[in-house]
Amino acid sequence: MGFYTMKIAVLVKQVPGTESPLPIQSNQNWVDEGAVAYVMNESDNYALEEALQIREANDEGEVVAVSLGPDRSQKVIREALAKGADRGIHIQLDTAGMIDPLVTASYFADTFKDENFDLIFTGLQSDDLGMGQTGIILGELLGMSTASMAMATEVGGGKIKVKRELEAGWFQWVSLSLPASVSIQSGLNVPRYPSLKGIMGAKKKEIKVVTPSVANQSQSVEKVYVPQSDKQTVMIEGSVEQIVGKLVETFRNEIKVL
Amino acid sequence: MPDFQFSNIEKIILTLGTIGCLGSFGYEVWRRFKIVLKGRESLPFDRLGVRCWRVIREVLFHEKVMGGRFWPGLMHGLVFWGFLVFGLITIDHFATGFGVPLLSESLHHAYSYFGIPFAILVLIGIIALAYRRFMIRPAPLGKTSPTSGFVALFIAVLMLTYIYGEFDLSPMVWKINWWLHTSVILAFLWLVPRSKHLHLVLAPVNIFFRPFEQPYHTAVNIDLEGSEDELDSTLVDLTRMTKNQVLDVFSCVECGRCIDVCPANRGGGILDPKNHFILDLRQPLLDQGNVDVLGTINVEAGWECTTCQACTEVCPVGNYVEKSDEIRRLEVLVEGKVPQEYQKLFMNLQESGNTEGHASSPLADRLPSYTPDMEYVLWLGCFARYGLDPNFTKSVENFTKILEVAGVSYGVLENEHCSGDPANRLGDKLTYTMLREHNMEQLAHAKKVVTLCPHCALNLEKEYGKYAEVTYRVFHHTQVIEQLITEGRIKVKKGSEGKVTYHDPCNLSRMLDEVDAPRTAIQASVDDFFELEESGRNTLCCGAGGGLWWKKETKGRTHLVRAEQVVASGADTVVTGCNFCFGMMNQGLKPLTPEGQTEIQVKDVADIVAENLVKIPSV
Amino acid sequence: MDILIVLEDSNGKIHRMGLESIVGAQKMAEELGLSIGALVMGANVDLLAEEASGLNVGEVLKVENELLSTYSADGYAETVKQVIEQENPTYVIFGHTYQVRDYAPKVSAKLMKPFIVDNVSVTTNGGNSVFTKLMFNGKLFSDVTPTGDGPYLISFQSAAFSSEKADVGSAPVRDCTVNLDVSMIRTESEEPFQEEAGGIDLTSADIIVSVGRGIGKEGNIPLAKELAQALGGELASSRPVVDAGWLPAAHQIGSSGQSVSPKMYLALGISGAIQHVVGMKGSKNIVAINKDPEAPIFEIADYGVVGDVLEIIPKLTEGIQ
Repeated sequence: MGFYTMKIAVLVKQVPGTESPLPIQSNQNWVDEGAVAYVMNESDNYALEEALQIREANDEGEVVAVSLGPDRSQKVIREALAKGADRGIHIQLDTAGMIDPLVTASYFADTFKDENFDLIFTGLQSDDLGMGQTGIILGELLGMSTASMAMATEVGGGKIKVKRELEAGWFQWVSLSLPASVSIQSGLNVPRYPSLKGIMGAKKKEIKVVTPSVANQSQSVEKVYVPQSDKQTVMIEGSVEQIVGKLVETFRNEIKVL
Repeated sequence: MPDFQFSNIEKIILTLGTIGCLGSFGYEVWRRFKIVLKGRESLPFDRLGVRCWRVIREVLFHEKVMGGRFWPGLMHGLVFWGFLVFGLITIDHFATGFGVPLLSESLHHAYSYFGIPFAILVLIGIIALAYRRFMIRPAPLGKTSPTSGFVALFIAVLMLTYIYGEFDLSPMVWKINWWLHTSVILAFLWLVPRSKHLHLVLAPVNIFFRPFEQPYHTAVNIDLEGSEDELDSTLVDLTRMTKNQVLDVFSCVECGRCIDVCPANRGGGILDPKNHFILDLRQPLLDQGNVDVLGTINVEAGWECTTCQACTEVCPVGNYVEKSDEIRRLEVLVEGKVPQEYQKLFMNLQESGNTEGHASSPLADRLPSYTPDMEYVLWLGCFARYGLDPNFTKSVENFTKILEVAGVSYGVLENEHCSGDPANRLGDKLTYTMLREHNMEQLAHAKKVVTLCPHCALNLEKEYGKYAEVTYRVFHHTQVIEQLITEGRIKVKKGSEGKVTYHDPCNLSRMLDEVDAPRTAIQASVDDFFELEESGRNTLCCGAGGGLWWKKETKGRTHLVRAEQVVASGADTVVTGCNFCFGMMNQGLKPLTPEGQTEIQVKDVADIVAENLVKIPSV
Repeated sequence: MDILIVLEDSNGKIHRMGLESIVGAQKMAEELGLSIGALVMGANVDLLAEEASGLNVGEVLKVENELLSTYSADGYAETVKQVIEQENPTYVIFGHTYQVRDYAPKVSAKLMKPFIVDNVSVTTNGGNSVFTKLMFNGKLFSDVTPTGDGPYLISFQSAAFSSEKADVGSAPVRDCTVNLDVSMIRTESEEPFQEEAGGIDLTSADIIVSVGRGIGKEGNIPLAKELAQALGGELASSRPVVDAGWLPAAHQIGSSGQSVSPKMYLALGISGAIQHVVGMKGSKNIVAINKDPEAPIFEIADYGVVGDVLEIIPKLTEGIQ
């Protein structure tokens, strides 16, 4: 396999946990981040594990964990370091209300100018915004080939082969020349848990902090709100025939699955 | 017995043989003992009286050997008691060879009126045991063992030669018989330390030194602010066995009782406590001559364990069998290899202080807050707080009703975090440290804590107590209910709930040693109560312990074995004393109930008492 | 044209989500008074162009190029980019398919124009379009608007619109050319393949019919299976059903099984214990049928029926077929 040092960047994002409260700010523009409980984005965790496994298979190489966000984002970089990433980069910015992947990707592209990464791994999409574009746009901006939804990767001979997930249980292997930016689907590996030594050692690893100048978004949030359909359970009653009739109608016209 | 002389040559041969075999015996025992001494911590000498009495009960009276396997146990008893009886005779036998017999001829002959019947009993015993081992071949005994065959043969020959030697024999025949008996004893001496028959020597010692705490695992002190050297030494220590644990390995008699009672094994898992937790460690210990061998434990088996301690409870030679704690903590803290579903659990515990990752608890909000003037802190536990089984919320409320009727003041802690039992049992000692330190701060002003969850109860007092001084006392709610009943502070009438039985939670009956309180409460409340098989301290775990409530693995039926027993018992109602057991019964009973049979009701002790409370007319 | 719809090939026919995006585009066109056009691309797209020309899509742009014979992110992205530069639409509409997710962000990057994705609806606000998408694990809606000049790339979520509502019409077909060079395509793809149905992937199902203990016994499972088939959905269950051996573990949903968030989750005879709920509460529409009016499942259901599943299921299957 490669005798060259494999440099892999993993983009890790801090997102609200699945059980976190999401209170909306009074101006309705965004959530009150102070009240949110944050965790590492799930598919990013898988991306990190994939990168670590590739570095271990290669025997040499570097995995760099990178996160864009306010001060609290350093927590997920530390987590990545505890799991085995070699160093971290924190692009420090208040990201409240920031949703434009073009802008996000350009911050990363700017920071990566001199790094010359062989591979960039991102999670498939973030659990908060769900845009699913940053990794691909970043790859395009840096002139790398790209692929999304990797369910398996094979690195070797200056290329990466990616098993893309398609709809309805289909898959496709795609071969990309390096450097490449790949977005990783959850479930392709079993992420490791940070060992005690890893957690201790992470304290000593480097996190470089950079502060970019703020760019303008090309898409923005007007407001966020709780979906109108508050769980007022609509109880369907009547005889069995009546109930069945109403259910079919609901499936067809309300839920739109028929 | 005629007064036969032994020639000098014979005496020399005898001396050499005796010294040789005794020496070899001594060497092998010493070799193992040296390894024991390398183990961590020290062998305990506390409560000497209790320890001695335990040896008498379990060794002399064969309490655990006969419990559970009565007939084979009795057969073994015959062999064992025969062994004791023949002690004096054997010494006399060798002394005779040296020309200085201990017993006079008449004394020897008198003894034989005692000895021969015993020898026959021993023969019956050993033949029955050999038949069981070699003909019936029950699975827990493992592969057919040649050494067992030799030992059976040896014992038989010893008894036969003893009996034969009491007859009127010609000098030649007597001599030959004598030498045959002697050779077998010497061969025995050679064989014992190299096989499981070392239990002859070690079992009484092991039972004497057996720790009182259950479960028995070393505390893992983690200081994240400490130096890297301190951390390294902590991590190395995780692979090292304690003296007691090493002694256990060499004492194991390979009987397989631990396999019989293991819920994971009975549920079709691969876990085999005898091999995975004990015997697999034997060769590494001997090969290395050192005790840092815990890393060799089978990982997959280690994750299957429910930590119920049934294996430990049943062991006749005093072993603490279960070692899931030891291997899991290595996998988590050193290797970082944690099954996915547990990673989520650990993250929830770290981020939110509870197993579900929730921000609030509607139940806790409804209950009064604890203030130091109240008698009890009512510790809810994550299961109740976050509704892991919605029906259990009613059980908690029933308990508060009982407390209120009795005029007992209680309150819940606002900042109650998970007691840490899942983290503790699953090997994440770091998360456990965080939770423990937080909770101890919250409990700083508490005097008495009562909880419905035996896992919480066990951790809050006993487990926390391994790390720091605990200034409060912890009670299980059934203990408080029992006290209220016996003190007359509540009155219960016997209601009719059909046939009622009680499933002992393993954490309550074994580890907290409480089997009576729930029964007092239940029997005051119902008129038709019967016991399940494997009840009390011998209870069969419901399958949720050791963090397995959150396990994703669905092959194997560990979580159903006990439910099946309950269905087969014919009960109408099963009462439990633990929220996990409650949840498991709720999940397991309906699909297992055959068609036509009515669904079995699941209740907590608090439910059954509250339902039958005699309301004191309000003042 | 003002609105360009990019259609996807699904075995020689227009992909369902392409038809859905036509409906979305037709809505926007009507509300904003804009013209539309549809793009089909590939090595040989006669069939697609013909199908598209039978719909009310304004005009059909046909791009045929050898280098588009198999899908490649580079090839498709470059093609769409060049067509956009040629035609100058304000909005470019896609269905949010796996393929679009793979190459459309590249178009966004090439043009440095926004790609607003996975929208469930679009509304007009004073001459501008406001797109609504789900955020925060589906817990909140957000209204998103593009800023700056177009073109704006837009994708609609599966079933945001109903493909049946695509207006028919007659649209002329126009050939377009793009400049593609072999060096632009930096990837090599192999043939797509299916994996053996070893695991049942419930997470990608749009409709799930799930049974709990209320199904009664193993013999009743086929009833649920038939209902699932009639709905075009997958069969799943809660844990007790698997424990009893009535269904294999691959069907299990819950904390010890799979987690799903389909468009519709039909919970039959499921009580709603938390271990099950954590695996499905993200479902967009939960329909629960249970004998017990106190069953916790009703607290999270959108539609509920207190009744006997064994009576209702077969009649429901009939009513759908």
